[in-house]
Amino acid sequence: MPNSIHVKELRKSFDYFRKEPGLAGSLKSLFWREKLYNEALKGISFDIAEGELVGFLGPNGAGKTTTLKILSGILYPTGGEASVLGHVPWKREPAYQKQFSIVMGQKNQLWWDLPAQESFTLNREIYEVDEAAYRHNLSELTELFDIKDLLDVPVRKLSMGQRMKCELVAALLHSPKVLFLDEPSIGLDIISQDKIINYIEEYNRLKKTTVLLTSHYMRDVERLCKRVIVINHGAIIYDGSVKDLMTTYADHKIIRLRFSSEFAGNGLGKYGEVIESDKLHAVLRTERRTIAMATSRILNDLPVDDLSVEDVEIEDVIKKIFA
Amino acid sequence: MIRVLKRYMRLYKAFFYQCLKEDMIYRSNFLTLVIMDIGFVCVSIILFKVIYGHVNTIAGWTFNQSVILIGTVGIVREMAYLTFRRGFLELGNHIRTGTFDMFMVRPIASGIHLGMRHLSISESFGEGMMGVALVIYGFIHLDTWSWIIFPLYILFLLNSLMIYYGFSLIINSIVFWVVKSQELNTVVYFFMETSRYPGDIYRGIGKVIFTFIIPIGIIATVPASALTGRLGFNFAVLSLFIGISFLCAGLFVWKMSIEHYSSASG
Repeated sequence: MPNSIHVKELRKSFDYFRKEPGLAGSLKSLFWREKLYNEALKGISFDIAEGELVGFLGPNGAGKTTTLKILSGILYPTGGEASVLGHVPWKREPAYQKQFSIVMGQKNQLWWDLPAQESFTLNREIYEVDEAAYRHNLSELTELFDIKDLLDVPVRKLSMGQRMKCELVAALLHSPKVLFLDEPSIGLDIISQDKIINYIEEYNRLKKTTVLLTSHYMRDVERLCKRVIVINHGAIIYDGSVKDLMTTYADHKIIRLRFSSEFAGNGLGKYGEVIESDKLHAVLRTERRTIAMATSRILNDLPVDDLSVEDVEIEDVIKKIFA
Repeated sequence: MIRVLKRYMRLYKAFFYQCLKEDMIYRSNFLTLVIMDIGFVCVSIILFKVIYGHVNTIAGWTFNQSVILIGTVGIVREMAYLTFRRGFLELGNHIRTGTFDMFMVRPIASGIHLGMRHLSISESFGEGMMGVALVIYGFIHLDTWSWIIFPLYILFLLNSLMIYYGFSLIINSIVFWVVKSQELNTVVYFFMETSRYPGDIYRGIGKVIFTFIIPIGIIATVPASALTGRLGFNFAVLSLFIGISFLCAGLFVWKMSIEHYSSASG
């Protein structure tokens, strides 16, 4: 499959000024400021195929958003190369701009005081979508995102989840070939988060749109993406399948125990690291390679009523990688 | 070229309706603004009336000609509000909060999109209407005129708008380096105020500064001169040249500056 996105040795550094705290610091900074450089991206490379849905994972300040902004032409890189759909993003050619969309969870693009529908019709004009295609897309998206009842409500009166749905619809009306999503589920409750993720999944499946999504909610990425790129301090530290990420980094498993009789909990330490324990329950963290031995010994030695072995939460894996 | 022009006309129409709908949500604002604008214009006229009570002409401008000048200022300002002015007022906020991102990713020239996003239909409506009224009043009381001055007046109004736009692009480009722009717009507003007085009152170095470096002096003076038959051929050509230069310089500086946009993190 042809590549949608190609990034090679992409670098970006920001300069900023240090200001000492307080009014005196502010006054001083009027005359003399220390210039500092922050290397947001230290030469990252990756390729994304057409129709792929890739998760971009990393803690705050890792460089996820900076990468998306460069790929959508908002920022100029300090060095390196990138092309999306055969265009250099920071040339900001309309021919490219008509073929992608970027949605940012923290930035509202809809007209705040007007119903979402008004923003949609304006987008039709901006992206020169012809009438028939527009009507078709709108009815399809309205259906898919379930926003029929929201179309006539001023955007400022919508809940965050409803607003994000409308943001996504607005971004998809011109059938972009590439979609950048920056923290689309930020600030949403778990149910709305899941819904948004479902919609994105469904849309990608239907339209084969290339999606690059950033999140610091592992749940999103785990559910949505086969492939994940993990970035930290401006460098890619993992690029591959979510499954391999787990086997590479999750070298522990979790054993949950329920005891048939009250048990003091002494001596659990020899089967693994004790995460929590009370008289009737215990949770242990045990190395993957000794898991079989540990469980059989536990069953032998202890008054166990129920035992389960689970993968560690992917969050913990990520935490470990970033530590 | 024609296709692009047509596209932007369509876009302007779409944005115009959008902004009008937005304006109508805050109806009470509208009336206050209109009344305030009319008040400000009246104050200027009273000031001129007082001055003209003592002299017949200021730098060769009679009272009626001055009324046309004040009216022209109102018209130019109204035209600016109907195209780009408020967009630049909002620019600082957009840059500080990072919402300028949206102007970078849409298939519209950012310098035009910014203006259209914030078309202000009601903000200076009062001043614009008052401007038209004053120009008509002054014009009726003129002693001599010919048909040719009407197209000339329109041409130089557009030229003035071009100068104002180019000037705003240049001044506001600084925001990409200095983030906070409220102060800058105060500067633009201040110079716009000076255009209420005929360009001819500036002499020597002042005239050079107000004509070339900060061309606000000619923004209202040139079209008003055209309408009152005071515009010489050389100055007319020169002002068209200044108009085109400012537009080109503005577009160039703007293009350079948005490359410096650093967005807000988040």
